[in-house]
Amino acid sequence: MNQIFSKLGLAVTFSPTGKALLKETKRLKELFSAELVLIHVGEKKPEKEEQLNQIVSQAGYDLDKMEVIWSTGDPANVILEKSKSAGVDLLIAGALEKESMLKYYVGSVARKIMRQTVSSVLILKSPSENPKSFKRFYVSTDFSPQSERTVRLAYDFALKENCEEFVILKDFYIPGLATTVLDSGSIDETESIRNKWQEEEEEKMRIFVKELNLKPIPIKTKCLYGKEGWETSNYARENKADIFIVSVPAKKFKFIDRLFPHEDEYSFESLPSNLLIVR
Amino acid sequence: MHLSSGQVVIFFLSIGVMLLFAKLFGELFNKLKQPAIIGEIIAGIILGPTVFGMLFPGIFNWLFPQTNEVKIALDGITTLAVVLLLLVSGLEVDLSTVLRYRKTAVTTSLMGIIFPFTLGFGLIYFYPNLISPPNDQLHLAFALFMGTAIAISSLPVIAKILMDLNIFKTQVGFIIISAAMLNDLIGWLIFSLILGMLGATTGGISFGFTLLLVMFFVFFTLLFGRKISNKFISVIQDKFSFPGGILNFILIAGFFGAAFTEFIGVHAILGAFIVGIAIGDSAHLKEETRLVIQQFITNIFAPLFFVSIGLRVNFIANFNLTIVIIILILAMVGKVAGSSLGARIGGMDKKDSLTVGFGMCSSGAMGIILGVLALQYGLIQEEIFVGLVIMALFTSIVSAPLMSYFIKKEKSYRLEHLITPDMILFSNSNEKNELLRQLINLTEKTIKADKERVLKGILEREETNPTGISNYLAIPHARVNLTKPVAAVAVHSNGINFDAVDGLPTKIIVLLLTPENESELQLRLLAEIVRKFKDKSKIENLIAIKSKEEFVECFNKL
Repeated sequence: MNQIFSKLGLAVTFSPTGKALLKETKRLKELFSAELVLIHVGEKKPEKEEQLNQIVSQAGYDLDKMEVIWSTGDPANVILEKSKSAGVDLLIAGALEKESMLKYYVGSVARKIMRQTVSSVLILKSPSENPKSFKRFYVSTDFSPQSERTVRLAYDFALKENCEEFVILKDFYIPGLATTVLDSGSIDETESIRNKWQEEEEEKMRIFVKELNLKPIPIKTKCLYGKEGWETSNYARENKADIFIVSVPAKKFKFIDRLFPHEDEYSFESLPSNLLIVR
Repeated sequence: MHLSSGQVVIFFLSIGVMLLFAKLFGELFNKLKQPAIIGEIIAGIILGPTVFGMLFPGIFNWLFPQTNEVKIALDGITTLAVVLLLLVSGLEVDLSTVLRYRKTAVTTSLMGIIFPFTLGFGLIYFYPNLISPPNDQLHLAFALFMGTAIAISSLPVIAKILMDLNIFKTQVGFIIISAAMLNDLIGWLIFSLILGMLGATTGGISFGFTLLLVMFFVFFTLLFGRKISNKFISVIQDKFSFPGGILNFILIAGFFGAAFTEFIGVHAILGAFIVGIAIGDSAHLKEETRLVIQQFITNIFAPLFFVSIGLRVNFIANFNLTIVIIILILAMVGKVAGSSLGARIGGMDKKDSLTVGFGMCSSGAMGIILGVLALQYGLIQEEIFVGLVIMALFTSIVSAPLMSYFIKKEKSYRLEHLITPDMILFSNSNEKNELLRQLINLTEKTIKADKERVLKGILEREETNPTGISNYLAIPHARVNLTKPVAAVAVHSNGINFDAVDGLPTKIIVLLLTPENESELQLRLLAEIVRKFKDKSKIENLIAIKSKEEFVECFNKL
């Protein structure tokens, strides 16, 4: 098995969840046998350095083997830039499940990282000082080559975690389909065509899984009809996924995407569980 | 003022007759593979002054009175119908889809509006004698209206055409539908502002203030109303009876929106349409709800509205060939050229751009609604109204066959176009490698990749993950350097081992080669082949066929 992630980056803060994030990251660092870079946004002052050293030591790290980057500026930009220059391939950050409406539109640090990232990102919704392994993996796919890589990476991750459930999800939506009822006044034709598409998606999913040829964890699948991005995210939430995994969006999301959410923006807006965005 | 008992009788009789004729003609046109609304409009023309009113004026004037309280009640019903039609139309406008395909959707939609609008407005405004406005005072508003009328698209007709042509679930289909959605939104906004402008000239509130209020309403509803309704829908669908609870919520919100926009001097339809968009955007809104409300409006209110069109005007007396031809040319040229150009600017190739252009040219129900409202407001005369109705019907009928002609690329990706007699091979080779080599040789005209490398890739894959399925089928496949997919079929009467799941020998081997980056296309074609091989007895019949032509015919019918 290839190394899943070789260099982790953690945006470390002095907030109450800072220590929990450090402990969660330590578990993942050991799981992936990866290096770690800590990024702190703020001016490097002796008292701050002391404070940071203290929480890092308390989390069980060996300070001498740590790389800590201090920098000032816009927190999200600094974290993204520094993690890129340090060669981080998995950036870890904590985030609230949902922001207030104002903060959502303005954009919090974690949300900005999700939308602008250039590496893979793991967003931890409720980091714990007693971290546990992820047991329920829910992966979203759109059958693209990128999402094929995402599923393979997720599977390797799941193997390392000895996961209990690995589910691949696909959602699809045909906008404007319901208007076809206007033509005949009957929903029969519209329903039957939707059922045909549902069967087609399920067949494609069966072949997709067969093509992946992944063993030994059994793979469950689910194809859902509804707004793309929202259905899979909601399914993972309702089924209490430990981690929901998506591919990095093809285009960076902008402000207008927050006004009219689509695809992965639904998961960014309201985290269904811990969220891994794979590049 | 109230309806007398006799007037109530006439009111219900007229509604009953309208629905009866609408249903009969709608069903008839569905049987003829044409949109039901064409039948409903023709039903109205037959019932109206054009035919029935001409033959039996006494009965016509008794059943459909033109002056008294019954007329007011019937007008109330048609106003309700048009507001509901716009409400459900708004429900299906999915702004998130527009954003997903933003560049191509926006350029297609904008060019699909700007080009025909400029063409229509420019010609009417600068050549006032081409088609005369009702009066000189309305010249500017009339020219603006004509620009809008030929620029608008009809989402329901377009959606149905995409469904019938089997391209709804394709890239081209998504681009067309998202561009049509944006087109509707912009078109209705422009039309509402024209009505606001008319209101200002006839003593209503100032146009500037109306514009401000419309902007406030649209932004507030789409930004905050959408969020609020999303929360409501989630709760209502969980806690209230289905579908009553959610249907009532949609109707109540739609009526409030309609009342507000009517109050600020633009038509009620804009409020219903914008509220529809805000509600329809909710991810919580179930597809069943969308279908139920569509069915409710479609079977009662839409037929009443479309029949009422024929009752308004004598289509023979007001038929003006010159006007009809001018409107038809403006609409077809403006819409097809503008939308195709927009799609091309948005990055689509020439053929796909033309497909999009013809897909967008149907103005259908939306064009007719626009015409009815303009007639009511005195913005157009009967002759132009007839021209607009004919344009709407004509574009709805010709759009599908014209699109079908240009969607060659999508067609060439379908399995029935890939499996042709020259791609069939009857073989008895017991060597898997040799059999696969023979199949690859059949595809040599299409593939650019090194044939030996393709064979090596397929064989390596067979080693790790055999492609034997069941019911005598195996689908060796690969993604190679190709521009379009290619398939070849070998029929092996004795059978050969492809490690099939059911342990049966493989007698039909379908080699499928697809472009490297089109993983979903590969899955779709594989799924299509697998679905064809569900019935073992049919496959046994297929294996027994000895003629290539007969094999292809039978394969495509599976």
